[in-house]
Amino acid sequence: MNSRRSFLRQMSGAALAVGAAPTLLSWALPLPQSAAIAIPGEDGMIVRSSRFLDLETPVEYFNTWLTPVPRFFVRNHMHEPAELEAEDWRLTVGGEVEKPLTLTLSELSKLDTHSVVNTLECAGNGRALHRPQVPGIQWGKGAVSTARFSGPRLRDVLQRAGVKATGKHVMFRGLDEVPGKVPAFIRSIPIEKGLDPDTLVATHMNGALLTKHHGFPARALVPGWIGAASCKWLTEIKVLESEFVGNFMSPGYRFPNQPVKPGDAVKPEDTHPLTALGVKSVISGPLDGSSLKAGRIAVHGSAWAGEADIMKVEVSTDDGATWNPASLGHEQAHYAWRLWNYEWKARGGDYTILSRATDSQGRVQPAAPVWNPSGYLYNAVDQVKVHVA
Amino acid sequence: MLHNRLLSKKLLLASAIAVLALAASLFSAQEQKAPQVIMGLQNPPPVRFTEDLPAGSMQAKATTACLECHEARIILQQRLSKAAWTKEVEKMVKWGAVVDPSDRDALIDYLSGNFSPDQPSYQPPRTSSERTPKKAAAKDSAAKKSE
Repeated sequence: MNSRRSFLRQMSGAALAVGAAPTLLSWALPLPQSAAIAIPGEDGMIVRSSRFLDLETPVEYFNTWLTPVPRFFVRNHMHEPAELEAEDWRLTVGGEVEKPLTLTLSELSKLDTHSVVNTLECAGNGRALHRPQVPGIQWGKGAVSTARFSGPRLRDVLQRAGVKATGKHVMFRGLDEVPGKVPAFIRSIPIEKGLDPDTLVATHMNGALLTKHHGFPARALVPGWIGAASCKWLTEIKVLESEFVGNFMSPGYRFPNQPVKPGDAVKPEDTHPLTALGVKSVISGPLDGSSLKAGRIAVHGSAWAGEADIMKVEVSTDDGATWNPASLGHEQAHYAWRLWNYEWKARGGDYTILSRATDSQGRVQPAAPVWNPSGYLYNAVDQVKVHVA
Repeated sequence: MLHNRLLSKKLLLASAIAVLALAASLFSAQEQKAPQVIMGLQNPPPVRFTEDLPAGSMQAKATTACLECHEARIILQQRLSKAAWTKEVEKMVKWGAVVDPSDRDALIDYLSGNFSPDQPSYQPPRTSSERTPKKAAAKDSAAKKSE
């Protein structure tokens, strides 16, 4: 805890020293309170959609390693289950298993609990930054948050049912309420990831029961992978011989096998399903468009890399001519982001501040976005423009 | 069940009117409560839980076709070419949006006219902050004690 406190103090101290804090606060709330939408349990979130609910975490909230639940982004493809009583909820496990089973919540809670701190990111995070624009929720930088998820290992649930040798994929079905003729939100993951000791049937988030917006009473938690893998309001697990066939496996959540020219169409057979997240850093302060006083300015943010580890984050204040190492926060976990901080001695002028992360697989954030027709996995070098006087 | 509901246009229209009437009464109640001066800013624009589609000859039909399943913001935030809007309309019709074939082209024109790539980006509202200064100070001092 000490290390975290000193890291945060260092960050806030630097910001206060140059008088940046008031600027941050005023930018954090662009709308007066009365002009905001009241959604219980959701704190100052960007409303991409209120029905169905899609809420983005403002980047200025990327200042704690664990994101408080009221500030954790919410992504719903459809309507949340209208009525969901814990006593009535059941989880069925079937398909390519020896003994299909049905678990109540209390039976599930008797299995050994495991915790994983995971950075969950929507595959479409940053979609609004792609050019040409592509359809979908126009997420800015904040469809990503980090929490400690707890619950039984999916492996333990699957082993109770006994996976047959023919079982190669694990399908999840949630209780999302499907409007019209929209296909149900069903996806699958390969059995290897399903049996990974860190893949969970999560019932808790940051030590408390999951809230409804985050999948109460149980959700899949597939660490390091796109958020869509971690099915909410989980009610059915089915072991399959092959990948699930449905809209949210294809054409949804697929990425071109080869780079495509921005604006080009891609044939479905030239794509593969999205799995692990890429390497990415985001600047959480100063905020884009800030006016700052010359002197010491804390440039800070977070960086994550899915199943890989962040090795370094670099900051440039001269359009990428030179890069300076940022110091990484001490709090870390395999699938979790690292907070980072760089103390910039700034003179007057207009600047574009850049941040670039490198991970343990040798991946580096690209200078330009990798365009694709659905706007997935945006991870270009982050940038904010500031005025220093 | 839902399929039957979609078939019954009359019922749909009646329920849409009822929902709109209820929504209008809720919004007006909300707006009346809002103080005139907040944080030194005069008359902050009222923010509604859901938004309307823009005026135009296709507004009503687009409202019926699209907002049965989702709110207008999902449309208001898109900036797409006519080709991309055509694909979206085709997908949504496949997924149950009720669009008369004779209205299809006008609907695409309405969407691509209002929400084309050259339009300025949509500015989303926020949810209200639960961290009022008083609460935040109490939380911070409690956190200090527990450390």
